[in-house]
Amino acid sequence: MTLTSPSVTTADSISIRGAVKIYGSGASQHVALQNVDVDIKRGQFVSIIGPSGCGKSTLLRLIAGLEDADEGIAEVFGVTAEQACAAKMIGLVPQAPALLPWKDVLGNVSMPAKINRRADKLRRRIHGHLERPAPDMIDLLHKAGLADAVHKLPAQLSGGMQQRAAIVRAFGVQPDVLLMDEPFSALDEFTRESIQEQLLDIWDENKTTVVFVTHSVSEAVRLSDKVLVMSARPGRITASVDITLPRPRSQAMLKSAEFHHFEDVIRDHLQTAWQENPMTGSTPIAAGAAS
Amino acid sequence: MSVLSPVQPSNQSGNQPDQPDPTSETSQEIPVSRPATPPATKRRSGSTGRFGFLRPAYWLPLAVLLVALGMLWSVTANDSPYLLPPLAAVGEALAANPLFYLTNAWATLAVALVGLAIGFVGSFILAVLVSELPVARRAIMPIAVVLSVTPLVAIAPALVVAFGFGPEPKLIVTALICFFPILINVSTGLRSVSPAVLQVFTTLHASRLEMLWHVRIPSALPYLFTALRVVFPLSIIGAVVAELSAPGAAEGLGTVISVASSNNRLAVVYAAIFCLAIMGSLLLLIITAIEDRVLHWHESRVAAKS
Repeated sequence: MTLTSPSVTTADSISIRGAVKIYGSGASQHVALQNVDVDIKRGQFVSIIGPSGCGKSTLLRLIAGLEDADEGIAEVFGVTAEQACAAKMIGLVPQAPALLPWKDVLGNVSMPAKINRRADKLRRRIHGHLERPAPDMIDLLHKAGLADAVHKLPAQLSGGMQQRAAIVRAFGVQPDVLLMDEPFSALDEFTRESIQEQLLDIWDENKTTVVFVTHSVSEAVRLSDKVLVMSARPGRITASVDITLPRPRSQAMLKSAEFHHFEDVIRDHLQTAWQENPMTGSTPIAAGAAS
Repeated sequence: MSVLSPVQPSNQSGNQPDQPDPTSETSQEIPVSRPATPPATKRRSGSTGRFGFLRPAYWLPLAVLLVALGMLWSVTANDSPYLLPPLAAVGEALAANPLFYLTNAWATLAVALVGLAIGFVGSFILAVLVSELPVARRAIMPIAVVLSVTPLVAIAPALVVAFGFGPEPKLIVTALICFFPILINVSTGLRSVSPAVLQVFTTLHASRLEMLWHVRIPSALPYLFTALRVVFPLSIIGAVVAELSAPGAAEGLGTVISVASSNNRLAVVYAAIFCLAIMGSLLLLIITAIEDRVLHWHESRVAAKS
């Protein structure tokens, strides 16, 4: 199945159509993504949740242009992922902070501006791109609670502060989409909730599109407009839940009944997916998975 | 929302004069006493840090061992003067003609440093090439590994035959000795960038040159300095061995050693060796000082500071 038909999507969304990604071959073949369709509108905060190995990170890497789909198409606001990267439309926050240890925090967050300077010209040509002035990095660092760390080296910071710096760095390029791959999974509960709040604060101002991969249900509910539930073997999207909680979402809301309701809905979806296809060792994979 | 953000200078609120709240009295005590303790520990750690070597516990073991070794040397020298010259004779040899040793040491040092510079430039360029081109890596690295474990000083006599008694064989030997440790370390360092960092810069569409300049070369610096600490003393060894292979040709401590030993002047031989030891130590000291400066950001150093 090759998709040669013109893309049916409007240019103002991230759209993935019939994406298939298979790792390995023969007996060790692993279908990371099977016919995955995703539509993310500009300005949405979308989380992808699912058990380990369900392909959620693979999906993120497709959007980031770090991997190519075996079949299907991935478009970021009307252009390919690669073109989006060339125009610096994508900000990535990986699981590890990935800061440069020889640069202080300010140096790290200003780094993207020094790289790929041709991108600005490319960006202007891309339809639907909203031009925004370059942000004041110091101001952004203050908002992220890094006022005292502006001139500190990454090794002098705690894990939570390093991750904040990585988020500021990603916001600094004013990306059209921010991709976050389990950015808080290494942090303790306390730090995580505080960073979530700061992330929402910054996001409220910028309204960047965010794709957020997580395995924490409450994190997904708190942050997102929409939660995509994925299931493994083969990796596919089993449910899409719209989170209609009002914003801003304070820490107090975490205890509310509506919040718990959404958590339960997502847990149910995850459980159903798990029962349909429990990951108990090596279940054989159908050879024709990529039909 | 900065409850969990870094330690606020808490004494600021405590030092504010207008705080009528009676409970603040107790809270005031903590901030006041807090800044008092860190400087005290800092001063103590400072005394062990900068001037710690002045304390007997620090230098006495070394001094005792040195005295013992000196006595052992003197006893041996008294018993069999052909084995070791008396220490006093070595001292006299140095004191009698310090300029002689200085000019020869300078000649050796010049060869060592120029050879090292040539080896450094060549190996660094090749390391970049090897890290950027997988084909070049597969072709070159096996050879580099084999050559790095080969005692390359052994080709010095052959080079003297080929190039004569000029500076060429010495420079070639020194450059070759320095070449492979730098090549192997730097090419490893250039590829030591974590996948997460690579992903971030890939999504920014950084060019290869930008990646090299902003990410790869700085990442390779710790590896480079590890190589340099090995290679600086090696460069002196290379220069001396090359001089030993072509004695009488020019100046240099290797030549001094070769000529003096054939004339049975053991004191001069050991004086020259003493000069070489001092030279090697000084080079190591310099490279370590530079390393401390350049790699101030490195985790090991940052941790040591705080």
